[in-house]
Amino acid sequence: MNILVFAKRVAATQEEELRIRDEGAAVDLSKVPFKINDWDNYSVEEAVRIVEKTGGTVTAISIGDAESDEVLRRAIAMGARDGFLVSSGEIFHDPGVRSRLIQNFIRKENIPFDVIFTGVQSEDDQFGCVGGILGACLGLPYSSMVIGIDAVEKDHMIIRRELEGGLQERVKIAVPCVLSIQSGINEPRYVSIMGIRKASKVERKVFQAADYAAPASAGIEVVRWTYPEKKGGATMLTGELDTVCGQLLGILKEKGVFQ
Amino acid sequence: MPEQTATRVLTCIQCGKCTGGCPESGKTPFNVRMLMRKTQFKSDIEESLPWYCTSCGACTIRCPRDVKPSEVVIELRAKLVEDGDIPLALQKALENTFVQKNPWGRSRNKRADWLEKLDFEVPHVSGTESKRLLFVCCIQAYDPRCMVIPVNVARLLKAGGMEFGVLGEEEACCGNEIRRIGESGLFEELQEENLGSFTEYGVQEIIALSPHCMNALKKEYGDTGIKVVHYTEVLAKMIAEGSLSFPGSFEKKVIYHDPCFLGKQNGIFDEPRAILKAVPGLELLEFSRSRETSLCCEGGGGRMFFEVESVYQRNAEVRVIDAGKRGAEIIAAACPFCVMTLEDPATEKGLVVKELSEILMEVL
Repeated sequence: MNILVFAKRVAATQEEELRIRDEGAAVDLSKVPFKINDWDNYSVEEAVRIVEKTGGTVTAISIGDAESDEVLRRAIAMGARDGFLVSSGEIFHDPGVRSRLIQNFIRKENIPFDVIFTGVQSEDDQFGCVGGILGACLGLPYSSMVIGIDAVEKDHMIIRRELEGGLQERVKIAVPCVLSIQSGINEPRYVSIMGIRKASKVERKVFQAADYAAPASAGIEVVRWTYPEKKGGATMLTGELDTVCGQLLGILKEKGVFQ
Repeated sequence: MPEQTATRVLTCIQCGKCTGGCPESGKTPFNVRMLMRKTQFKSDIEESLPWYCTSCGACTIRCPRDVKPSEVVIELRAKLVEDGDIPLALQKALENTFVQKNPWGRSRNKRADWLEKLDFEVPHVSGTESKRLLFVCCIQAYDPRCMVIPVNVARLLKAGGMEFGVLGEEEACCGNEIRRIGESGLFEELQEENLGSFTEYGVQEIIALSPHCMNALKKEYGDTGIKVVHYTEVLAKMIAEGSLSFPGSFEKKVIYHDPCFLGKQNGIFDEPRAILKAVPGLELLEFSRSRETSLCCEGGGGRMFFEVESVYQRNAEVRVIDAGKRGAEIIAAACPFCVMTLEDPATEKGLVVKELSEILMEVL
């Protein structure tokens, strides 16, 4: 089975206090470190596990600037055979534009595949719909929120989708198809620095995104970055430990959290 | 496995001195002598075993054949790291260090936040005349319990009239624990980054707050030409020369715990004791196992970041019980990892753990 996996390099923002600059025109990421999008990490791991069992190849593809090569090296260190960088200095926020770019790239370069994995969403844009739009663009069946892959056959896969309320839905999906992989589907392996260094020796092909751009302009455009509206602050309890604990207990009882 | 390590393992005579001094052998499935034997014969080693090692170094110090068992354990771990098959908590610590340059994954931009607690300015090391660097390192830059240590030591150095500077956000993890987890590639990256800063700013001397950092910077960064000391060495000298004294009084029975990376691995036993003896009113006690035979607290070698599988009595608890029997009211340590591991059982048993600088701040 040949699997294409999309891997995005994103800012590691969880611990950062992000600042908007230029009156809402941009977010200052100058001091923020970058990493592979979490969902894509799970996707690469899942693809590599399938190929380790059933044979075939994993090709990691990243759309982004030259720095995105680092997520390709990482994917190769995890077990991907190839790494393709669709290079662009431009940031494609619009998931429709991204999807059409991918569609054009795959078709123009005639890249063979059985399954395409995308992460459920990317940590930066969080549209959560590239997989779905790509499925539609390519005319392929699509399944979102994939939390398990139970069987991989030539013409179909049996997968599990994560639903609300602790339920999962088992789905038979025809191959070729597009799947959006949910985090938690596996435990991604550790990628050592030595492994990444070895992966650096594997040639990664670079393509120019401009060669695959869709003629239609973006339907979605970032107008301005803003902070969420500030709401009421937390209640601070002060005083001696016993008093504070008593107050806290009272509040919890009042709110019905503690009986 | 590197040839040097393989050769060393083959000289092992299975005398068992390593196991005899190991803080884990006997009470856990970890048996360092057995690991050396299995390594000699290239036998399969159960994957959970290498992670019990606390990197205290007792085996390496006691080995009559210079096998360096603790280094062999690192090699065993390195193989697991290379295969990507390591405990999840350790994986997180390594990935965090790769991204944010500290195992806790806190923002690198907040690495110098502790400076806000000072009422005086500490310059960047490049702006100092002495080019003397206070190397803070991760746990003391981020952990709320340990952030007080750099604040205290900065105040003590200032009180003693010593000029120093910091790297602030440019400082990266020293890599001592990272190397011991077996991630030599990441250690090399951290080393390269820190050495780059040392060279760029012409650092002449480093005062390390943690014995773990001191060990890495002093012994594992190669021949840097930079003098590396632990802060207790600096303070002991200041006290001996009369530039630092303590007007207050600390009428408590204090027992001093030797951190492995300060004591048995780097021979710094007397300086922390000399400092405590200089505190008026303080009565210094000794553990039944102290100095070279001090019992490891189990905080080193990556053990700060994850729990091993088997359940057994923790050495920190053994230590606290011993301290209680000896009549101590306070356990003093000069290592943030020791403070963190000792504090839980001590609190349960009604004892107080203080980092050495915390005692000094009460009498300064």
